Amino acid sequence: MVLVAPSPLVPDAATDDGTRSEVPGVPSGRDLLALLRGDHAARPSFDPGLAGGVRAWLEDAAFETASVRAERAGSLMLGARQILGTATTHDTTDVAPRLVDRLVHALFRQLVFGCRIEDPLGDGLDALRAAGDEETVRGVAALGGPARAALGTTLDRHIAHLSALVPRFAPGWMPRTDDYVAIPLAGGAVVLHGVFDLLVGIPQSGTASLCALGLSTGGPWPRERRTLHFLALLELLRTGTPPFRVALLESATGRYGVEDISEEHLRAMAAHVAGWLGRSDTCA
Amino acid sequence: MTDLTATLLAPPTRVEPSCWQAALDEARAALAGLAVRRPGTGPFRITEHEIRLALSPAGSPAGAGPGSEAAFAWSARTARRALGLAAIRLLLDGGARSPLEAVRARLHESERWVSEGSACASQLDRWIAGLSAAGRGAAAADAVTWTTRLWCALDWAAFDAAPVVGRDRWWDSPHSALLALRGRAEVRCAGGHLVVLQGRRRDSVRSELALVALVEALRSRSAAPPGRVVGWWPDSGHLVRLEPEPGVLRLATDAVSLVLAGGVIAPAVRAAA
Repeated sequence: MVLVAPSPLVPDAATDDGTRSEVPGVPSGRDLLALLRGDHAARPSFDPGLAGGVRAWLEDAAFETASVRAERAGSLMLGARQILGTATTHDTTDVAPRLVDRLVHALFRQLVFGCRIEDPLGDGLDALRAAGDEETVRGVAALGGPARAALGTTLDRHIAHLSALVPRFAPGWMPRTDDYVAIPLAGGAVVLHGVFDLLVGIPQSGTASLCALGLSTGGPWPRERRTLHFLALLELLRTGTPPFRVALLESATGRYGVEDISEEHLRAMAAHVAGWLGRSDTCA
Repeated sequence: MTDLTATLLAPPTRVEPSCWQAALDEARAALAGLAVRRPGTGPFRITEHEIRLALSPAGSPAGAGPGSEAAFAWSARTARRALGLAAIRLLLDGGARSPLEAVRARLHESERWVSEGSACASQLDRWIAGLSAAGRGAAAADAVTWTTRLWCALDWAAFDAAPVVGRDRWWDSPHSALLALRGRAEVRCAGGHLVVLQGRRRDSVRSELALVALVEALRSRSAAPPGRVVGWWPDSGHLVRLEPEPGVLRLATDAVSLVLAGGVIAPAVRAAA
């Protein structure tokens, strides 16, 4: 992973893949903000015809898929989980990771907008109730005392890391969370979809001007990173330009990484999606 | 200028006035007949939601029928449009400089109205005032996302006059006090009406948008056609553009007729959609 770091910010103890582990007690939201902003002049540029070419490529692949599916089968909804591979414990019926994931994401949104979190579990449940996520609220209520205490402890750790990592965005950066993207292909027979945990920046026609942040509560890191590339592809299809930079925050460890999006990332992801759509078992 | 703004402000399509007037007369006559013949009792208010339900295939989430709908409850998701529209109005008035500031101001307004017992306080305001700080944060987060998408999608400086933001318009049948049609649009300007769409792309969308044009035409004191109706999906960036042609009035009238008849899809309506 390419770490975009001006020299004063290059971490002393970068890991082998260029990411940085958070040092306990040392706030780094400002560092992350500087990395996201980067050097304005060095931001990558994109071929204006890229979006059209990629769309045509994926439309062809999607039409092939649609042609062998039953007409009444409905839309094939494809997210990163389907396209990017195997499920982890995070995706299965194991309850606790799902609860942690939902609660951490709800609290992350609070942190982005500068809200104070005093009781992670209580505040997270309040946020989920307001969001109408009764399933998660019921899931927590069903836990026994020790499991609930363990959940609280886990949540405290995640939020401690995020409190240090999440930058304070000026309102002018236009931070917005849970931005859902859905790209219909083949007349809606196939829909590629995903959610940006956080987008910042003001959209500019013909210029890549957005940064995207992804929040991972459980990894694995390479798949979460590729999920961001998948989302960048969706943004390319939605607006014609991808985010110029993406960041991945891992709340369990405080690890983070920032990288520029390149045309190679987008072409590689488009090739992967087209290949996935062309597989014989796709329609199953 | 953004694509969406350019589409909304593009020069109007010329419509032969006599054709338009004939279609409008036909629509008025059809609606008068529907108001008189409508079965059942009680008021009937037709919105784009009823049209979507009536035109959706049985078995689809939207076509499951009115009886299968969950009861309405306020949540961050159901509140985001109302909060977002208020925030956009505040931004246009210069009362806030960013969607985040505007949404916060709107939430504070809710709390103030409720605490002061103001007559302005609505159910939504009371719901917001009853939330904890974390709950309000969740409501704010959804509203900020909704607001930012719309705020960034239009070039507001390109409008000659300040657009109207978020005023639903009703047409009450002069033949029956029980029948009313609603046209919902998020942004209205002289040249057109922008409708923010959500959910999947669907066959019924042209009929849903045609209802906006029909309501405008029925309410208008001018013989001229209303502005175009532009439907926009923020999720995908797709646009649907509906020019005010005579066929649009027929499309909407057929859809209204279908709703009042109980939701059997007429082939002509389905083909037109």
